[in-house]
Amino acid sequence: MAAITLPARLDSLAPCTAFVAACATAEGVPPQRVSAIELAVEEALVNICRYAYRRETGEVEVHCTRNETQHLLIDLIDTGEPFNILTLPIPDLTTSLDDRQVGGLGVLLIQALVDHVTYRHADGRNILQLAVRLPS
Amino acid sequence: MGVTTQTIENVLIIQVTGRIDHITANVFEQELLPHLKDCTGEEKKAVLDLSRVTYMSSAGLRVLLLAAKQCRKQQGELVVAALQPFLQEVFRISRFHVVFTIFDTVKAALDAISPAAAAVYDGS
Repeated sequence: MAAITLPARLDSLAPCTAFVAACATAEGVPPQRVSAIELAVEEALVNICRYAYRRETGEVEVHCTRNETQHLLIDLIDTGEPFNILTLPIPDLTTSLDDRQVGGLGVLLIQALVDHVTYRHADGRNILQLAVRLPS
Repeated sequence: MGVTTQTIENVLIIQVTGRIDHITANVFEQELLPHLKDCTGEEKKAVLDLSRVTYMSSAGLRVLLLAAKQCRKQQGELVVAALQPFLQEVFRISRFHVVFTIFDTVKAALDAISPAAAAVYDGS
């Protein structure tokens, strides 16, 4: 397992995505899929900074593990307020430009770009896990 | 992240380069939106050339929606051209084809919105 701990701030974005990209590349993930994983991780990190730590500062741990079912598991762990970003509303994407809501696409992108997303709260920690099937 | 422009006849071609994420999106917004203030009617149309954009997160998509809304308000036409495969995927997920007309190339965009500009466009 590889892990990194970063301040839960927007300026941790580059080291966070670089870390996950390196893990994914080392596991043989092709470049376009690596970009997709980086994007999902970016959206997750931004939402952790925005919601879990809206009243205080803190850290986020990122763990990358390969499991026995050929998946790369990316855990984003914080000790902020309990908050499941997967409950955030997804904007209506069928409306015309005039009615289209600006923003709110982050969670939609996370769910579409990785194979499986789960959230749990345990021992005072929010744990968001992104699972990506690895090439066989 | 960078934004450069080129005017051909009645079309402003806005070429964006690089990676647009939650760090660079603010600069993208500041650099893009002012270029669109004259985008109105037949007088000035705009093509957003994204051929050199390698990555765009929701922060960049937000700026594109603001740009589209601004042009709509001014009754201006803004189209998108030349998405790389990863951006095509992001656009598909976000259903941006509902809000933007998207062309495979800048030339195809010009052919559709301004034959006069297409006639003199040299593809550079």
